Amino acid sequence: MSLVTEIQEIAAQYPQSRSAIMPALHLAQKKYGWLPREAFEEVGEALGLTPAYCMSVASFYDMYHLEPVGTHIVEVCTNISCALVGAQATLEAFERELGIRPGETTADGEVTLRTVECYGGCGWGPVVAVDQRYHEPVKPEDVPRLVQDLRNA
Amino acid sequence: MSMPELVRVTIDEKDVHVAKGTGLVETALSAGIEIPVFCYEPRLGAPIGACRMCLVEIEGMPKLQAGCTLTAQDGMVVRTARTSSKAAEGQNATLEFILVNHPLDCPVCDKGGECPLQDLTFRYGPGKTRMNFEKTTFEKPIPISPAISLDRERCILCYRCTRFSEAVSEDGQLVARNRGAMSVITTFEDEPYSGPFTGNVTELCPVGALLPTQYRFEARPWEIVDVPTVCGMCPVGCNTHATVREGKVKRVISRNHPEIDEGWLCDKGRFAFTHLRAADRVVEPIHRVRRRGFEPVSWPEALDVAESLLKAADGRAVVALSGSETVEEAYALAKLMRQGLGSHHAVLPEEVSAGLDAYRLPLSAIGDAQTVVVLGDVPLNESAPIVDLWVRAARRKGATIVQTADDPAVSSTERVVLIWSGPGGRGGARVGELAERLGLAGKDGCGAFYIPATPNGRGVADAWAACSDEEPAREPDSIGLLVVSGDEAAGNPNVRALAERAEAVIVISMFHGLAAGWADLVLPGTSYLERDGTYVNLEGRLQRLRQTATPPGPTELEWISQLAARFHVEIPPYASAVFAELSKRCYGGLSFGEVGERAPLRGYVEAPVHVEVPPVPEPAEEPPSGTGLHLVAYKPLFSGPAVERVPELQFQRPQAEIELSPDDARTRGIANGDRVVVSAGGVSVELRARVSKDLRAGVARVALEHSGGLLGNVEVAPAGAGVTA
Repeated sequence: MSLVTEIQEIAAQYPQSRSAIMPALHLAQKKYGWLPREAFEEVGEALGLTPAYCMSVASFYDMYHLEPVGTHIVEVCTNISCALVGAQATLEAFERELGIRPGETTADGEVTLRTVECYGGCGWGPVVAVDQRYHEPVKPEDVPRLVQDLRNA
Repeated sequence: MSMPELVRVTIDEKDVHVAKGTGLVETALSAGIEIPVFCYEPRLGAPIGACRMCLVEIEGMPKLQAGCTLTAQDGMVVRTARTSSKAAEGQNATLEFILVNHPLDCPVCDKGGECPLQDLTFRYGPGKTRMNFEKTTFEKPIPISPAISLDRERCILCYRCTRFSEAVSEDGQLVARNRGAMSVITTFEDEPYSGPFTGNVTELCPVGALLPTQYRFEARPWEIVDVPTVCGMCPVGCNTHATVREGKVKRVISRNHPEIDEGWLCDKGRFAFTHLRAADRVVEPIHRVRRRGFEPVSWPEALDVAESLLKAADGRAVVALSGSETVEEAYALAKLMRQGLGSHHAVLPEEVSAGLDAYRLPLSAIGDAQTVVVLGDVPLNESAPIVDLWVRAARRKGATIVQTADDPAVSSTERVVLIWSGPGGRGGARVGELAERLGLAGKDGCGAFYIPATPNGRGVADAWAACSDEEPAREPDSIGLLVVSGDEAAGNPNVRALAERAEAVIVISMFHGLAAGWADLVLPGTSYLERDGTYVNLEGRLQRLRQTATPPGPTELEWISQLAARFHVEIPPYASAVFAELSKRCYGGLSFGEVGERAPLRGYVEAPVHVEVPPVPEPAEEPPSGTGLHLVAYKPLFSGPAVERVPELQFQRPQAEIELSPDDARTRGIANGDRVVVSAGGVSVELRARVSKDLRAGVARVALEHSGGLLGNVEVAPAGAGVTA
């Protein structure tokens, strides 16, 4: 089934088809790994929206990728609660271990490191999500093992 | 209608009574008090309270409120910055916050001197800055199209431009990317912001972020004069200001006439003015001399030549009008030809009819209609763009938009408006007949519109009729002289065919490209921005044109007056004096001054019997035609002699594509973007297919310049198929 058809099936469940934009963007991201130009064109076509509008919505949210990403994504929360319990040190540990800065992907295309705003785990910070799976709390000394697990995965 | 409920609101200790639900900004204004705003703009739909400039203190509410989002309630007590130190502090802080990253490059900003951010900072803002760190910088300026540049450093994220794109023009192309402080205004990828209305965002922008590229570094606000006039690019007649510096038009901006344009302009009306300075502008008369070819001549010599050509025609002269002449110019030309030379025959590029006069409405009535019937298949945004905006406004307010008068919505609603946009309307006569059949005459909010091809065809026809009581003569058996008045006529292939039959030709044209090679005498034409006079728009509204720029030579009226004197016909060289003469015959003796800056829609009951100026005859040869789809070849908005001479509008020219209805595309196995062959009678043209939901089945649509001369019924098939059958 083509992406457009798949999206239109989801859209049919909403009173207004444009309400389906979030799941539609997720589907497109699943297909491409990120959201390239074609993804927005297809989502737009399926929902009767302009590609610009779809891009605008996607750019608002952290979970949509407007640039290519690695096979794995490490996300470190740096919002206030996590920051108070040492998120910066955790982040720097990942930078050292992976040899990249936040927003970058390792040269082998395996791992992307990002900072994110609140993941809702404020009582157990610093929160780190590895491929959408939460780890909490993550201290700098936990980082080498997490990266090793990721490399072995 | 019942009286709206009035409520009492106290603003800065002043009591005002306004209708319940009136916005607080307007309520304050009615008390003579300003609530300053950036993002608030009622024409863009519901307020969003994004900029926080409008903070006010309201009794009973603990925190400052965004005044623009509130409406008047009975007993409300409001304090603005004038009487509330809390509100003053809040507004001051808002401005300080807005200015954190604003570059303050006002001395080199085109907006400087006419900038709401400058003005409000002056009145409500902090006198100094506490920001001693580096400001956010962006690449700048970014051309979001060849016509508009974006300076992201100056942007204050009020979202006026994106709201216009989403909720007024409904093109959805201009959007915000990212979130919060990282937000920027952008289009999709590297695509230019295109469409009929993009330029409006440069006027909506309350800072120097979105600016017209044509006006970049062209003038400072204290060097300019904004001359009120009307646009002559289409029959809508939007009210405009031509910004003039040292006799040259530097930009065209809107001059809100709430009944016509609501302050919006199309990009043709806004950006096409630089055709005045086209490289191939005819600036002096040109005479064809036997064996020597074409040579420039002086004006007195040119008038000598014109005089002898007119005399030689001996009553067998024909005038091909453009429908873009002012009423005064058409009257002067008619008086010279009819009274001075006994030549009564003139043709227009289109049929003109008085059949709609009983169904006149202001365009704004479309916005208030419950049912809008759009007849004909020429897209409104190509023929009369502002009408398209009114139809969109009606749809947003819940109106039903239908394509046939047989739709049940027509009989089941009170306010019905008909719009004819397409060929075959007989100058409005047919939609007038339809309005009569539906019984719309005299019914509140009901009426009909016809979209003519020319900006002033009706005014020109009336003027031609008004200057002689004699019966209009039929076309003479042989044409002694063809006078081609203006560029629309000069560019019309049917007029060219007429010229083939004429013994001599005089062409009045602005451009060598149109006039060269086929005229015995070329006289430099002027643009609507260079003439004084009046136009009649598609509503039947008489409006005032002003000379905004200095033309390279005399205006048509000036030299027609001199030429007429040689035939003992007295024509004053001033539009006001000519109008005084013709007004008695056409417009009930209305004086020039009474036409007005924001002209009302008047009825002219005392107008003489309307005499038709017939359309220029079609060539006898029928275009190739077959069975299959009915092809509508329309004149696109971004076409014509003026647009062709404006570099900033070239990206807006129509694509080589044909529009098909979803049904017709499906049955032919054609998908959006496919290459297709359009053919009839052995002629074919290859185009890209675009599937349009708003097109009726059985109709295909193409811009005239891509039609390959096809018209009538055509076959459409995927390219590279169908030959074997």
